[in-house]
Amino acid sequence: MNDASTGDEGEPRDGERPPAQHGVSRRGLLKAAGGLALGGVTAASLAGCEDTTTPVAAYGAAGGGGRGILGDPTAGGPVDASGIPLARRDYPVTLPRLGDPVKAGKPETGGELLIYNYADYLNPAVLKEFGRLYNVSVRVTTFETLDEAFSKLSTGGLKFDVIFSTPDQLSRLVGRKLIQPLNYDLIPNLRKNVWPEAAEPFYDVGPRYSVPYTVYTTGIGWRNDIVDYDPAKMIPVWDAMWAAEQYRGKVQLLNDYREAIGMGLMHSGSDDLNTERPVLINASVASLENLNRKVGVKVQISAYEALPAGQIVLGQVWSGDMLNAVISYLPKGLSPDTISYAYQEVGGPVFNDVITVASAATKPVLAHHFLNFILDNKISLQNFIGYTGYQPPLNGIDAALLLKQGLIPKGLQTALVTRDAYANGNAYLTLTTAGQRLWEDGWTRFQAG
Amino acid sequence: MTRSLIWRVLAAPALVWLALFFLVATYAIVSVGMGNVTTLFEPVPHWNPLDWNVGYLKQALSDVAPGGQTWPVVVRTIAYVFVAMALSLVIGYPVAYYAARYAGRSRGIVLLLLVLPFWISYIMRMFAWTNLLAPDGYASKVLDALGIDTLMNKLGVMDGSDWLGGQPVTVVLALVYGYLPFFILPLYASLDRLDHRLIEASRDLGASPMQSFWRVVLPLSKSGILAGLVLIALPMFGDYFTQDLMSGSPDTSMIGNTINGYVQGGSEKSLGAALTLLLSIFLLVFMLGYLRSMRAEQREAAAA
Repeated sequence: MNDASTGDEGEPRDGERPPAQHGVSRRGLLKAAGGLALGGVTAASLAGCEDTTTPVAAYGAAGGGGRGILGDPTAGGPVDASGIPLARRDYPVTLPRLGDPVKAGKPETGGELLIYNYADYLNPAVLKEFGRLYNVSVRVTTFETLDEAFSKLSTGGLKFDVIFSTPDQLSRLVGRKLIQPLNYDLIPNLRKNVWPEAAEPFYDVGPRYSVPYTVYTTGIGWRNDIVDYDPAKMIPVWDAMWAAEQYRGKVQLLNDYREAIGMGLMHSGSDDLNTERPVLINASVASLENLNRKVGVKVQISAYEALPAGQIVLGQVWSGDMLNAVISYLPKGLSPDTISYAYQEVGGPVFNDVITVASAATKPVLAHHFLNFILDNKISLQNFIGYTGYQPPLNGIDAALLLKQGLIPKGLQTALVTRDAYANGNAYLTLTTAGQRLWEDGWTRFQAG
Repeated sequence: MTRSLIWRVLAAPALVWLALFFLVATYAIVSVGMGNVTTLFEPVPHWNPLDWNVGYLKQALSDVAPGGQTWPVVVRTIAYVFVAMALSLVIGYPVAYYAARYAGRSRGIVLLLLVLPFWISYIMRMFAWTNLLAPDGYASKVLDALGIDTLMNKLGVMDGSDWLGGQPVTVVLALVYGYLPFFILPLYASLDRLDHRLIEASRDLGASPMQSFWRVVLPLSKSGILAGLVLIALPMFGDYFTQDLMSGSPDTSMIGNTINGYVQGGSEKSLGAALTLLLSIFLLVFMLGYLRSMRAEQREAAAA
């Protein structure tokens, strides 16, 4: 780790090992880790871990015994050495079904529906409406990061009905039996309203556990009244960050190790956002360090507030934050047209968040109704335009109409996600245990300054 | 006898409470730092000392050693904290001295002003500064008008005019601002107890005001200064949100940020716990040094 140049940094840290163990190959360690977790891991699935950019076929097939992930014969897809499913667009994953979905019935009434979500990521008016309809009070508990959410959930101390998350977290949530398989008969809006690509996702074939919540791209947001060049004209658009020398100290880098290192990868011409090659990751970290020397980045995620306030003038941002900035954070006197957004149309990150039902839910039927409610065209529009700025992947949300009605400023047309972009976009997906450590180590190195 | 028993009984619940929660929390950190991580990145504490795994501790040690990946952060943290301590001393001492000796009737008001910041939480005060120091914030404008930015630039401790743009000077000043009252109050208490007659005696014996300050007051306030410095150094070393709010740049990250980064997310929670242990050991050494010098002083006083 201290010796970045040797590159072979993927060794798992668990277990007692001397800090500098560069002689051991990743394959060897992966084998050890895999043996611990699953017992019989085949050479085929290990080969897959050598380069997860092209994972092997379904574990069931590779294992030869027809056994699916976590012993469920109906589950399948690429897994890492320790059995964690690694969904990729070309290699879909069917998550193991643990137990049966809840039977249809009358939704539970009275008391509270408990939701676990990011802060400011649900319109309170929408929650109130749901509470009124179902005669229940809705309570949202918030988390800062998905990792924190997972840690707290896995202690078993927190009981929720509905959990918001991301696709790359699903394997962990299922692995710890923290979410339950869904009864999609109770969520008719999924088939009725949601883009087909998002309703039948590769990360949760079936689907079995999730419904999509919002779609977004990662790109460059900037104040066009201050920044004197046009990032939209740069190829790749990320170059706009490295060109911001004159705006030193007012440039945001997302405080998210996947997004930040991913941007470094794209800046240096790689479009594999799930690479586990130390050489590429190290190069990305080096380019981020170079970026920091040039422009003095702010590592944060609050562009929705900081950009309209002028605390930053350009940055790596999520599309939804730019709409949120215009919807909720525009100071008096600042025109919504001053905020621009551009993203990398080919190979840039485009993805979605998901909603799930907790296995510990005390109101599982009501929770299903809530998921269905959120996928209602009208409700989701109210949630999107009225509050969060994050767009739901619904057929009923007509981007052209929103623009025409002036509900979204013309300059932010680019912040809307098209079906086409979603279907072809790149995404940050689950990495192998060793791979994730590589990314995290790189990020720690960068953050040490 | 009975009186001391009564006090012992009264003090017991709080002492047990403090000891229990200190020990349990510390043991939990040790167990996580000496533990393991599952393939789902959940830390598995090893409660049994026989199962302790020192891999993470070794890793943390090599990280903070010269040349390690956390080494720059360690150097930076120590530099920031020591500069902040020096500034606190220079800024805080006159205030404490004034309050203890010259405030007279306005002493109550001075003390009130010192306690006032505690009415608002530390984080809220820092949040207020993020708005005031924003490029179009009031404080920014005033500092700009007074030419403070230019001065700081000339001194080489600031780059440009954006106070929140990853400036070491902002982080250090914010630390001073945040913890200064903790330095002044114990110092005030110690100066307040200072025997006035000793100063008069030194003057009678021909010392100038300056000399009597250097040779009498300052040595006598050593314990108060040390107590104040220790009191602010401990939280400053572990502070992370001041840096987060005032800069957020990798150029100014402190050890607290590194630990926070490990603990908040990802697969390295055990490494975060191991680093926490190292920091605690470092601070313990600091504390012991303070206690030793206190005891030496007490012995001297007793001998005199």
